[in-house]
Amino acid sequence: MALGAGWLAFPRVIYRSRPQPVNFSHKVHADKAGVKCEDCHAFRDDGTFAGAPSLDKCAGCHAAPMGTTAAEKNFIDEYVTPNREPQWSAYARQPENVSFSHSAHVKRAKMACETCHGNTGATDSLRPFQVDRISGYTRDIWRVPNTPHGMKMADCVACHHQKGLEHSCLDCHK
Amino acid sequence: MMNTRREVLMFAGGSAVGVLFTPAPWRLITDTALWSENWPGIPAPARGEIRARYTNCSLCAAGCAVRARCVGDQPVQLTGVTSHPLSHGALCPFGLAGHHLPYLPSRVKQGSAKEAAAAVAEAIAKCGPAEHVVTLDLRPARTASWTYRRAMAAVRNGRYVATSGDADIAVDLSQARTVLSFGVPVLDGWGTPGNVNAARSGFRLIQIEAVESRTASMADQWLRIRPGSEDALAQALAGQTTLSAAADATGLTVPEIAGLMTLLEQNGPVLVLGSSRLASGGRTVIARREAPVPAEWQKAAPVTALASLPDRSVRVLLIDESAPDGYVPWNIIEKKLVADSAVVVALAWSREGYARHANFVLPVGVYPEVADDIPPALDSVAATFRLASPLVAAPVGIVKPEQFVATAAGLSIADTLRERADAIHKSARGTLLTYADAKSQALKEVTADAFWKALNAGGCWIDAADEKAPVAKLTVATAEAAPNEQSDLPLAVVLSRELAPGSPILSKVYQESNLRLAPNRVALHPSCGIEDGSPADFATLLGKCRVAVTLDAAVPPGVVQVSTSPAVLDLCAAGARAKVVRV
Amino acid sequence: MTIDVDRCNGCGACMVACGIENNVPPAHEGATDRKGLTWIRVYKVDNGEEYPNRRTAFVPVMCQHCGNETPCVHVCPQQAVDIDPATGVVGEMPQRCLGCRYCMAACPYHARYFNWWDPAWPAGMEKTLNPGVTPRMRGVVEKCNLCHGRWHAAKEAAAAAGKPDTEPVDYLPACAEACPTGAIHFGDLNDPESAPAQAATKPESFRLLEKLGTEPKIYYRSKKDWVRTIAAAPRPGAGKENGRG
Repeated sequence: MALGAGWLAFPRVIYRSRPQPVNFSHKVHADKAGVKCEDCHAFRDDGTFAGAPSLDKCAGCHAAPMGTTAAEKNFIDEYVTPNREPQWSAYARQPENVSFSHSAHVKRAKMACETCHGNTGATDSLRPFQVDRISGYTRDIWRVPNTPHGMKMADCVACHHQKGLEHSCLDCHK
Repeated sequence: MMNTRREVLMFAGGSAVGVLFTPAPWRLITDTALWSENWPGIPAPARGEIRARYTNCSLCAAGCAVRARCVGDQPVQLTGVTSHPLSHGALCPFGLAGHHLPYLPSRVKQGSAKEAAAAVAEAIAKCGPAEHVVTLDLRPARTASWTYRRAMAAVRNGRYVATSGDADIAVDLSQARTVLSFGVPVLDGWGTPGNVNAARSGFRLIQIEAVESRTASMADQWLRIRPGSEDALAQALAGQTTLSAAADATGLTVPEIAGLMTLLEQNGPVLVLGSSRLASGGRTVIARREAPVPAEWQKAAPVTALASLPDRSVRVLLIDESAPDGYVPWNIIEKKLVADSAVVVALAWSREGYARHANFVLPVGVYPEVADDIPPALDSVAATFRLASPLVAAPVGIVKPEQFVATAAGLSIADTLRERADAIHKSARGTLLTYADAKSQALKEVTADAFWKALNAGGCWIDAADEKAPVAKLTVATAEAAPNEQSDLPLAVVLSRELAPGSPILSKVYQESNLRLAPNRVALHPSCGIEDGSPADFATLLGKCRVAVTLDAAVPPGVVQVSTSPAVLDLCAAGARAKVVRV
Repeated sequence: MTIDVDRCNGCGACMVACGIENNVPPAHEGATDRKGLTWIRVYKVDNGEEYPNRRTAFVPVMCQHCGNETPCVHVCPQQAVDIDPATGVVGEMPQRCLGCRYCMAACPYHARYFNWWDPAWPAGMEKTLNPGVTPRMRGVVEKCNLCHGRWHAAKEAAAAAGKPDTEPVDYLPACAEACPTGAIHFGDLNDPESAPAQAATKPESFRLLEKLGTEPKIYYRSKKDWVRTIAAAPRPGAGKENGRG
């Protein structure tokens, strides 16, 4: 019974779940609109990564409905028209003491987005955002869906070790 | 099923062992460790795009150029602009933390402008023929200063009083071969720090001072004199008394003073700071024409000295403490006020200044919230016009001092800064330096709108050089103006300049190290018999306040060094005497 | 890094800039100069004489980033400190630190500071925190890491510009950028053209406590002999020099 509780019930209880503000479909945008990852998840001029796109990127195309879904209409009514930024929750959000450079991994090491983030581009809806009740870390830190790894330090170190790129703690901590 | 104790215990034991084979307890341990590292009390810095914005620092008249590193629109760090010809990218410790000032706990947050305006209007109406309505401007020569002068001209018996009279005089450090400073902190906050550092190798600095200040320790020569004997030495150097009389007063030897005289004769031009008994040589001190002003503004009240107002003649006093370049001790002001129900309005952002004395305190914006122009620095040979442009929004309910005074006087004003910029633009002289791209261009190549935009985005107008500027003289309001106090208090007071109040981060230099003298501390020689850090009462003839004692061998016995916060300045000016008693 | 002691005027701009860059909180009311957090601290030293032979100088001291047998790296039971073989910077990981303060005892330069209290900023001032550096909680040791937040930002910009990983990045720590007299210079000691490398070869250059053999990377410069004597710290009572900060 303890085993059942531990393996089945505990994971449900330890995470707090909330849905993303808009039911966004990556698949529709990748297929129909021909959009690639970096068109919306862009780099700024100084090399920093902008993360989830801000409203003006979406409003650039969606000022008026482009499809027929209720989700899109909802988005336009609640966010585009009143000019309100959707409060996205970042699945991959690292703890405060980590300094992760997207430029070094994407531009220098030329890694594909899917390597770490999984095949998000093929998903049709955004999964609910799950965060650990006690530590506040996202569930993805332990396991990124559809990949064999999470986003813990050990996962990063494993890859760095393989490529012979381990130097010092402050390379990644700030 | 569970009807025996044994079965309950077996179940509990089995569960405990079973649970260890699940992720639950291990995960709870990890999570608790993670939670303990990120407790909610520790603020997480906001994330966002890093941008650079530019402005000028309005904490003192140097007005150094500032580059603000912002997260989104919020400044998180300030640094200098290396392309600026006067400040050379330097910022002082106070300027580096300027972006913290909007969050100071001692900030004035509330004050009813309506109530104050009503009281002022009533008092103006009640003003007798020999009584005055005064605006005290603690940073004269700004555009707002012109508004105050125009306002005081519009009010019957209006007087405009400003703290210093050197607005149209400039010091040209590059012309000096020797600088003779009577206690002026030349290397520690005088003029524009970046300019002084750049010019340093061109002059020999002789510091005449009672304590070994930072400037004295860095000077080429430091002459230690008794506090208050600066004028005695100046008299000897000017040939007005004998060397031995000066030696008696200062504690120097006759050969030392004679040597100094010879050195000054042979190494001119000499720039003299801190004493107007000696004239500066060559073209080290010259007149400086003001940045052009709209012609309609010329109908303005002249500058009146506070001392020239009769005692008990001021019925209404409006103090602009929004950008204070000094503090006039309250006892000097108080005796000018009428004895019955004078109305004093302090327009201030800090509760530590005149807010302690005024009838009404109105909250104003603080750097970097509000737009204000900064008068040219003392060591800027050419006139300048630069704005401290707002980087963050000012809180709701703040009052604009210029608007308040103008309304009280019945003067209607528009955007005075824009009008001034337009007047400067019309003169078509000088150059515009923009900080973002470090470009300098002649003003006549820029349109009026572009000029205004550039000033607001971070830039500076510098007047064309005036070859024919006549030689001038610095006015000095220092120790020689106030005679040495004759009292039996044991310690001579020496002031140490700090810009108070400053950001709490200054605790690095005030409390977490002994580098600078904090506003609530006094420094005494170790032989004073009081333990370092103990609380004490600092008392003068005018009152006392609670301080903490710092022991410092740089302060000679018989002298107490205090920092220039308003609370302390209310108790003493240079030349005062005090006692410090351990409590 | 090279520091020209003859130029330092003790203004404290470096201390303030360091505190702002690294999210060092303002002092708790119980803090004194022994319990403060001053990653860089300017000490005032004098030659022990009385006026007119008294001479004073100001010496900024931060973590010296010892290169040989780094004391703090050796003693940490948590391996919360390491020395980066590529840059030579001794990095402290407050997240791993358990607060035993063994490293503070081991550091001969007293350049490590302990968080006796939780950090607290006045209301609203937390908006001015630097996102490039993580704030620490109480109970951990912290010290200068030559502004690693700025190093990260410079590396990111270099990666975005397509520069290879092996090329050293160009950045200035907050103290070097803020110093109004230009006393602090920062550069690559391995690059013979850089200001620090050249300064290191001059005869008036010295390092603090060189006799300990820690091989610090901060080179000081002064033409005054008595300053060099203090830096070498002969046995107490040997000279009349005083130091206080």
